[in-house]
Amino acid sequence: MNRQAAIVGIGAFPFSKSSGTSEWRMGSLAALEALRDAGLTPRDVDGVFRSTMEATTESAMARGLGIPDVRAFGAVDYGGGGIVPMVSHAALAVESGMAEVVLTWRARVRKSGPRPWMQRGSGGSSDQQHYERVFGIARPVDSTAILARLWAERYNWKPEDLGRIAITIREHARRNPMAMMQRELTMEQYLGSRMIADPLRLFDCCLESDGAVALVLTTAERARDLRPDPAYVTAYAMATGPDSYNISQWYGEPLGRTQGWYAARELWRRTELRPADIDAIQWYDAFTPEVAISFEEYGFCGEGEVMEMLAAGEHAPYNTAGGCMSEAYLHGINLFSEAVRQVRGTSTDQVDGAEHVLVTSGNTTPNGAMILSGSPR
Amino acid sequence: MSLFPVPAPDQIGEPFWAAVAERRLTVQRCPACREWTWQPKPVCPACGSPDLTWEAVSGRATVCSWTTPRPPVLPAFESLVPFVVLLVELDEGVRMVGQLVGDAGDLLRTDGTDVTFSIGTRVTLRWRDQDGQWLPSWAVDR
Repeated sequence: MNRQAAIVGIGAFPFSKSSGTSEWRMGSLAALEALRDAGLTPRDVDGVFRSTMEATTESAMARGLGIPDVRAFGAVDYGGGGIVPMVSHAALAVESGMAEVVLTWRARVRKSGPRPWMQRGSGGSSDQQHYERVFGIARPVDSTAILARLWAERYNWKPEDLGRIAITIREHARRNPMAMMQRELTMEQYLGSRMIADPLRLFDCCLESDGAVALVLTTAERARDLRPDPAYVTAYAMATGPDSYNISQWYGEPLGRTQGWYAARELWRRTELRPADIDAIQWYDAFTPEVAISFEEYGFCGEGEVMEMLAAGEHAPYNTAGGCMSEAYLHGINLFSEAVRQVRGTSTDQVDGAEHVLVTSGNTTPNGAMILSGSPR
Repeated sequence: MSLFPVPAPDQIGEPFWAAVAERRLTVQRCPACREWTWQPKPVCPACGSPDLTWEAVSGRATVCSWTTPRPPVLPAFESLVPFVVLLVELDEGVRMVGQLVGDAGDLLRTDGTDVTFSIGTRVTLRWRDQDGQWLPSWAVDR
């Protein structure tokens, strides 16, 4: 396709433990801010995409904001795995010409609202869960812990190795005034935190947050007219891999490989860029092992080498605003706002001259990856 | 009514739980290509045969990984934690999760640090009654 998409507007409703308002209102206010950031109004929007876990439909969002007509719309499943795919659908709509200006967003009352895994009654919300929940594998952390144990035993990960990831991300958050977690996290505090699902501790887990983030995409051509620093969509990919389930990554072969491995392979197939070209990374980080596994599966190091690489600090900066672990957990859409800020040069923890920034979605579900760049392709 | 999650299977998975109620562990197998498949599926994902059948498995398996859920857990499990949930690979080649139990099918109340098993340990099928629901569970071989 000749047309290229760019992210030209970002907006947020402040992240907190209790927003005191609804997802529809938070999403609408974030959308208005993203449109203002882009120099656009709701009258300019003609495409809207959402997560299936978003209670506000595309039509509710459109009528609430006064969007006159939505020519491209849709919803993507898989929660934290689906955010890059959701933004990819927005980019596809722009590149194909189905829409000129696309709004996409994620709003949650996760902290002050119900926890999805607590629902009672049946075996669970999905067919898969009928064969897991009865045994006590009910939360995303339970399945992730089983995956983490596999990798930890295979590659001799120490508790401090995962702790280093949590601390690194917290240090980035402490420079970001929007981040929910501002206190220092020491290794002693990390190691002393209670187990949630062995071998994962409290500080291996992301936050529970209220808040919203909205993004506005348009064509590269129009983006250049709107602002001097669009974040151009250089490449993107989606993947499920075989034997695709949610979070539980053990039904297929080889044991231990995640669905992120397939997204990585697909991403690098779609660009001439390579890991060494990436200046900053926004990994999906609902749990620390996902970061370690992603570094390996995206080819930033050799097999079994990730913890050594992270200990040596020889890697691109990652999750530079605090990510899901320490900024907010909105299924990872805040990773996109930070990727855009890095490309603009306006991050609170700016990587000098960041040109290419990688963003990923949850690697233990159907997922995706996108590279945003400071220049068009 | 049980506070524990209870399976509410669709038509495809119903035979599994019907067999479990009789304390038989069965897994789908393709009569055409002879591949085993788990979790339940409508057709054979290996060859497309529409006629998967349910066959009894040996009840012998190997530990692949495990975890120990800790609070906050579902309310029903609060009185049981800590216990161990194993990921096992059946000798037939499919992997499923199940609780670590003693030889009598009693749930082992342990955080996993005081039992002698690891990845590769052999385990055998036992049956545990979880508030009226039989569960295929696993005991370490001696």
